[in-house]
Amino acid sequence: MADDILIAGIGGQGVVTAGDLVAHAALAGGYQVKKAEVHGMSQRGGSVVSHVRISDSGAIYSPMIPDGAATWLVALEMLEGLRWLWMLAPTGRAIVDDRRVPPTSVILGGPSYPADPAGPLAERGCILCATEIATAEGAPRAVNTVLLGALSVCLNLPLEAWRRALEECIRPKHLDVNRRLFEAGQDLARRTAANLLTG
Amino acid sequence: MSAEYRKMILSGNEAVALGAWQAGCRFAAAYPGTPSSEILPALQQCRARLGGDLYAEWSVNEKVALEVAVGASLAGARSLVAMKHVGLNVAADPFFTLAYTGVEAGLVVVTADDPGMHSSQNEQDNRYYASHAHVPLLEPSDSQEACDFTRLAIEMSEACDLPVLLRLTTRVAHSRTVVEFEAAQSTRAPTGAPVNPAKYVMLPGYAKGRRATLEARIEAAGEWGLREDITREVAGEGPVGFIASGMGYQHVREVLPEAPVLKLGMPYPLPAERVREFAARLNRVIVVEELEPFLLERVLAAGLAVEGLPSELRVGELTPMRLAAGLAAMGVEVGERWHRSVAEPMGGLPPRPPVLCPGCAHRYVFTALARHKVFVAGDIGCYTLAALPPLCGMHTCLAMGAGISQAHGIAKAMEGKQSVVAVIGDSTFTHAGLPALLNAIYNHSNMTVLVLDNRSTAMTGGQDHPGTGLTLSGEASAPFDFAAVARAMGVESVHEAAVGDHAGIDEALARAIAFEGPSLVVVTGPCPLRYGALAAPYTVDPEECIACNECLRLGCPAISVPGDSDGKPAIDEALCTGCGLCAKTCPVGAISQREGGEAGG
Repeated sequence: MADDILIAGIGGQGVVTAGDLVAHAALAGGYQVKKAEVHGMSQRGGSVVSHVRISDSGAIYSPMIPDGAATWLVALEMLEGLRWLWMLAPTGRAIVDDRRVPPTSVILGGPSYPADPAGPLAERGCILCATEIATAEGAPRAVNTVLLGALSVCLNLPLEAWRRALEECIRPKHLDVNRRLFEAGQDLARRTAANLLTG
Repeated sequence: MSAEYRKMILSGNEAVALGAWQAGCRFAAAYPGTPSSEILPALQQCRARLGGDLYAEWSVNEKVALEVAVGASLAGARSLVAMKHVGLNVAADPFFTLAYTGVEAGLVVVTADDPGMHSSQNEQDNRYYASHAHVPLLEPSDSQEACDFTRLAIEMSEACDLPVLLRLTTRVAHSRTVVEFEAAQSTRAPTGAPVNPAKYVMLPGYAKGRRATLEARIEAAGEWGLREDITREVAGEGPVGFIASGMGYQHVREVLPEAPVLKLGMPYPLPAERVREFAARLNRVIVVEELEPFLLERVLAAGLAVEGLPSELRVGELTPMRLAAGLAAMGVEVGERWHRSVAEPMGGLPPRPPVLCPGCAHRYVFTALARHKVFVAGDIGCYTLAALPPLCGMHTCLAMGAGISQAHGIAKAMEGKQSVVAVIGDSTFTHAGLPALLNAIYNHSNMTVLVLDNRSTAMTGGQDHPGTGLTLSGEASAPFDFAAVARAMGVESVHEAAVGDHAGIDEALARAIAFEGPSLVVVTGPCPLRYGALAAPYTVDPEECIACNECLRLGCPAISVPGDSDGKPAIDEALCTGCGLCAKTCPVGAISQREGGEAGG
């Protein structure tokens, strides 16, 4: 199995941590893995993506996912999901939080926020209420973990690998809530997102 | 020590730190700069987890960082210095002459270039520094090589009596790949700085002698390039072969995994023999590299008929897709996978550029400054983002510390007919603002310097600097006092204000700008990203709100107009840090703080 996972969101939402979690889970599951992202200025509330490439067969060379080749797009915000939707391979699937965060350009009366972001996204995957779940657990910053729980249902990595990744990447004081949110994401995907699993 | 092998997924920066640790690096200095900033903290982690002796510091700028590392090397401590690409411009003065003196203990200079300018003001290609200064250049293409090459660089430096330049790019520094390593460290205790004027006192007479030996030393360093762990040939099939280094190597393997590739870990000095041997066996050889045609020029100069990539690929970051398109344009058969038509990015989407954070201590200052209709000479840091709408509060950004010098130049040229304010952050001021301020004072400037002191080198991740009162290792240090230093340097009009004190800021700015002569205002307020939320979030009362949009003009990402609110703004409580600036801006008092008092950090 080889998967190219693109994680998109807004600087500060935990895109980089989400990428780390997938990479650590892949390594723990015995996969080859490479991951790419940028830090610094682009993280100040700007659009951020993390590329995670995993494989248990052929070698991975570039850490960057080739255009139009992502097998999964995990988006922490709907506009960011739309922005990177073109990176999906024809058979690729999107897992998107239903949150809308208008960028400053919209706030200042520039181009408007897409009227129906959910439409094109739902066509390519599923839209989940991850923010609602994370907020209900008192951890609005752990939306990324809910979405990764959903992703984990789709990937072929053993659950034990994800458990280890959570332990390695999440600070001990936040670990319990993240474990619960990961499981909530799994349940959510199994209950409501059948189109993820049928491919 | 018994050999213990480990396997971890590391960023290129963490791997550099690990390689330096393995080589017994005892001394490290840096000034933070994306994408290099994580190297020093990672080196401290290595020391904490794996043991060994290490001193590491944030130096005030890259020139100083290099010079302290040179001192440590002179005393016999293996050393590392790290900086972003433009930092090497600052450190260029000692760097060139360092090649003449050479080193005692191994010294690696790490430069992290930023093709595509993800977080930089230019995309200069620092490989040219190596050839210009006659310093060997190692260029890793993943984290394993970042670790191994750093260790080799320190050994090579010591063996060849030269510093070694290790060049990372953003995609190497910030990608994470697997590293297998031995948790063992070489040791070399410092023996004391030797008195050896012919080698270390670069008076012309001595420098001429060292210049003569430099040619022999760089030639000897070239022998390292013949090693299989530095220059590696990947056997392959097909009529076209590739010469590549750094991330270009990974991209060409991605696009043409079966093609023969000569991978150069040391682009300078060029291992010409290996290149000649490789090229002789192939009908066509293409050099794959990111940014400038550095390798191409060297291979052509060696008399080999090779081709470079199309010149448009020299601008911006190389990606597998851009490389595949470039090769296809050269008539190289790339696989079907790369010909497949890829969907275009969706058009008409609103962009999401980086912005000043919610609760940013700097935001009010720019709205206050706008009322004075002054020209604002800017500088490098988070506050540069205030140049973008809606604040549009900064009119230049050139180089570290340049705002003060530019403001002085404008003030002199305009002979007082244009008011100029230089805006500079706390860390940038200590980096390069001090000499610029001294110059302005000395030359009777008539301009204002505004120091935005957020107690952090914020843009690069919140590192300490002389103003924070803490060193890299967390040791207390006398906090640099901007106002006292300005007074001592001879500025007569010096004012201080706290971020929340809007009246105080207004008055300080008015007095400083009106003052004939150099003046300085320090506005202090902690960076919320580093020091946490200030207070409970604010909320808009839709009954009171008149939809005047004054609060939106602050450009705070926590404030927006939801689709279902009749044009009235709302505040995202998850983003709001409780700075209260919007409440003070609201003309009808529609914005108030939520019950619940102070928020937790």
